[in-house]
Amino acid sequence: MSTTDTRARTRFTGRTAGLMAVGLVLALLTIAPLAVMILGAFKTETDVVAPELLPTAPTTDNFFYVFTEVPFARYLLNSFVVSAVITVVALWFHSMAAYALARLRFRGREALFMIIFSTMLVSLPVVMVPTFVVVRTLGLVDSYGGLIIPAIFNAFGIFLLRQFYIALPRELEEAALLDGASYWRVYWNVVLPLSRPILSALSVFFFLANWNAFLWPLTITSSPTLRTVQVGIAGFQQQYAGNWNYVLAASTVAALPMLAIFVFFQRQIVESIKTAGFR
Amino acid sequence: MASQTAFSRRGLLAGLAAVGAGAALGVVGCARSGAAGPMQFMNFYTPQDQGADPQLIVQAEWFDKAIASWNANHPEQVEPIFVPDYVNPMNPRIATSFAAENGPDIFLLSPGEFLRYFNGGVMLDLKPFMTPDAVADFLPEAIGTRVVGDGIFALPMEVEPLSIYYDIAAFEESGLAEGDLPRTWEQMLDVAERLTTARRSGLVLETSPGYYQNFTFYPWVWQGGGDVIDLRTQRATLTSPSMLAALELFAESITRGVASRTPPASGEIVSGFKQGLAAMWQRGPWSIQEFALQAPEHRYGIIPLPTPPGGQPTTVGGGWAWAVNNRGRNPEAAARFVVESVGSMSRECIDRCADWNGRAKSNMPARASVSAAMEQLPSFTDPARSAVRAQLPSTRGEPRYPPVLYKALSNTIQSVQLAGGDPLAQAQSAQSTIESFLRTYEGAALL
Amino acid sequence: MTTTDPPVTRTPRLARTAGRAVESPMRRRERRAAFLFLLPDSLGLLVFVALPMVLAIVLGFFSLDGFGHLSFIGVDNYLRMVGDPQFWLSLRITAIYVVVVVPVMFVVSLALALLVKQRFPGVGFVRSALFVPYVISLVVVGLVWQFLLIDKVGVISRALEAVGLGGISVLGSPNTALAAVVVITIWFQMGYYMIIFLAGLQDIPSEFYDAARVDGAGPWQQFRTITIPLLAPTSFFVLLTSSIAVATGGLDLVYALTKGGPASSTTLIVYFIYEQAFLFGEYGYAAAVGSTLLVLLLLWSGLMFAVTRGGRFSNVDD
Repeated sequence: MSTTDTRARTRFTGRTAGLMAVGLVLALLTIAPLAVMILGAFKTETDVVAPELLPTAPTTDNFFYVFTEVPFARYLLNSFVVSAVITVVALWFHSMAAYALARLRFRGREALFMIIFSTMLVSLPVVMVPTFVVVRTLGLVDSYGGLIIPAIFNAFGIFLLRQFYIALPRELEEAALLDGASYWRVYWNVVLPLSRPILSALSVFFFLANWNAFLWPLTITSSPTLRTVQVGIAGFQQQYAGNWNYVLAASTVAALPMLAIFVFFQRQIVESIKTAGFR
Repeated sequence: MASQTAFSRRGLLAGLAAVGAGAALGVVGCARSGAAGPMQFMNFYTPQDQGADPQLIVQAEWFDKAIASWNANHPEQVEPIFVPDYVNPMNPRIATSFAAENGPDIFLLSPGEFLRYFNGGVMLDLKPFMTPDAVADFLPEAIGTRVVGDGIFALPMEVEPLSIYYDIAAFEESGLAEGDLPRTWEQMLDVAERLTTARRSGLVLETSPGYYQNFTFYPWVWQGGGDVIDLRTQRATLTSPSMLAALELFAESITRGVASRTPPASGEIVSGFKQGLAAMWQRGPWSIQEFALQAPEHRYGIIPLPTPPGGQPTTVGGGWAWAVNNRGRNPEAAARFVVESVGSMSRECIDRCADWNGRAKSNMPARASVSAAMEQLPSFTDPARSAVRAQLPSTRGEPRYPPVLYKALSNTIQSVQLAGGDPLAQAQSAQSTIESFLRTYEGAALL
Repeated sequence: MTTTDPPVTRTPRLARTAGRAVESPMRRRERRAAFLFLLPDSLGLLVFVALPMVLAIVLGFFSLDGFGHLSFIGVDNYLRMVGDPQFWLSLRITAIYVVVVVPVMFVVSLALALLVKQRFPGVGFVRSALFVPYVISLVVVGLVWQFLLIDKVGVISRALEAVGLGGISVLGSPNTALAAVVVITIWFQMGYYMIIFLAGLQDIPSEFYDAARVDGAGPWQQFRTITIPLLAPTSFFVLLTSSIAVATGGLDLVYALTKGGPASSTTLIVYFIYEQAFLFGEYGYAAAVGSTLLVLLLLWSGLMFAVTRGGRFSNVDD
């Protein structure tokens, strides 16, 4: 990534070598637990609790077992669909709301913003039962709707987008408004394209948060066809608790899509956060 | 959705407005779920999609068969609902569904949770649907904690007495023989010490907080004549010498380093023994089936719980029961389903229950007729099952206590066992919590 | 829209005085547009967040047993809370958790950001590696750490034994179990805050540092006189969001890792609330405790806003 730091160049000097050593040690320590998980997924049942770190007889049986004996593919698909729909709809709604809160003038704007902001403080255990009641009243228990719709509305995204829009130069919008464009046109043709960096950053975070959601899907669904990967893995662990090789293989499968997305988009994620004004 | 360049804003907003208004009205009205749809049977066996484990398949098939047999002959259909992590009392699924007036019609219930549902007023008396000989057929240690007044509010399908399971290879490696099997608490800790290695825990007593840990704790108290609640006076008796002795036993097993602070192999006895991580384990008969299907060659044995000086051999019998929600879609049909499945004197029902305890699972039966029928099954002569069966006379049913009482006892056990708490001080604190709770308690008797 | 009325930056005071008396059609359009833009999210938040929140607060004054038995009991739940040692214990544990995690995570993630801001070979890998735990779900995090910490045979248990700390049961002893929850929380969240700090650091014009260097300022002086003040908005954001996230988080992790034990040592207040509701069926009491937590967090956020008035959160753009 481009850095504004001036003098340092990617070259070996005493200083960069020292930094590199510190950085690598910290990096390896950080990913060690995940490395242990992935290595364990390739071990046999007895190897997995043996002292050796590396598998003595590497095997992919655990993955076959996970995929053939449990509909993990289905869980992955459910998680993907649910997370993707939430992400797209939520970003669309939030960017509209944030645009209005940042740019359009109306009475009570600050108060409304504070109210929306304060909903960020609501934690799931406090509102789980009332939320369940609401969702049941809407007939959404044990359905994709129940998994998706309540998860769309989240003040955090509105808050971040509003911060972004406040920091955004207004000239383009104002020019468009002077040219007679409607607010919707300004939003759609000017603001949204300018929001691309923060939207792509937020989409990763939204997708991540929903992919990793556990308690709500556990509460709102019961039919196996709706099971998400986190609920699936919790149930899996319950039944194969003694077989860490299977549990670690299933954990790896659950974590891999996120790791892949991260590796693939990491540059963009970091760049996006940088330009997004999260700060 | 966002990629659509044109959309009907008005339509969308109108839809959202309708949804919002509907929610607001619905919450205020809090309407009960209609009578539509099949009756829901929440359980932790079927439908099973995580089905590699042979015993899970066998057990799921047993439930499927029982449900299919009812559905084939009755218009009121039953639909099983599998709830992951059901046995964890913290699981929000069942609690939220009851709280939202959308509880299951039929559900599996352990004694530990009985009073929460009974005192909540949601359980249907099943006795009117049973014949008198069927009522008499249930063994007192199985049905006792499900009876309130003249009613029977859940039908147990099994009795699961706790024993000590031991790994024969671990004993041999440690130079111990059959004659060294412990009969007293002291021997148990001494033997556990010899069995403990850098890798292996000599003894496994439950350490995770929960109904299950309380369940495993009761017999150690009872052996010395103590109790949590005096059955006759309904008063808390947490500071009795036998209560304190049991607490000290749990604490000493940890401080001497002979029992594990967390369950080896995540609490799976078969893996724990196979991987050499544990030698003795307080456990119930469901594990016999686990060994038979997962490691049929593995050598293990079963002995009764060792006793304190002057104590009586006593153990506790758990087990799940079928219960009916009296606010369900069709409570009367649900009750008939439960009675026909596990509580009638028909040959089919008795055979079904015998099949559950004698083949699909490895538990003791809850009924005399089922016990007799099981004598005809090949599993009857299995030494492990026989060892458990021999303990039935000294088995007392798992008590039913309300959540406040359960939690007070749980805190006491946890503190003394794992945090170095003083047994007397902790017991006194729980005693006063429970006393003040019982002063205003108006629910069913604590048994 | 063909008006020439300049809709450009107006001071809020002007906006206010321009209010109701002479509302231009222009202004009315703006208001209507704002209404429509805000409608979907506002409705959703109303139905799925605000309504449950209000219901929860109202429930705090009722006794509700989870089976529909509802009775108004005034402030009894709050009185009970004040006298409940388990509540105070969980509040204390949460306070320890927040007081340890928030500053440590702040320092750690800032230090990491300062590190990966430098250029050195492999910095891209280091940056990614430090961030990567954040993408893993707490269920998996709980499982993996459980595996690492298995008594006697877990990788960490073996490592502890190798350095003479054998026989320690990290998840089986009260103090170490809470420490493990703290370490795991920092481990999986530090990368997120590191990236936010990194973005903040890279916003600081390098000329400032150049000038300081010319003036002979050492690295520590530069850090104190340039980095810290210019990083204030970022620091504010990190402190506010991480304290809220930490105070209301940890439920999935505790659920998967310790179930609140051993001996209640990891019973965070969210877990306590959860336990009251779903284990005891004390929904009214759980709601009262939850509302209390909500008020505490509101006070905390209000305090932070008050202290940093005029910072990034102000919408006054003139």
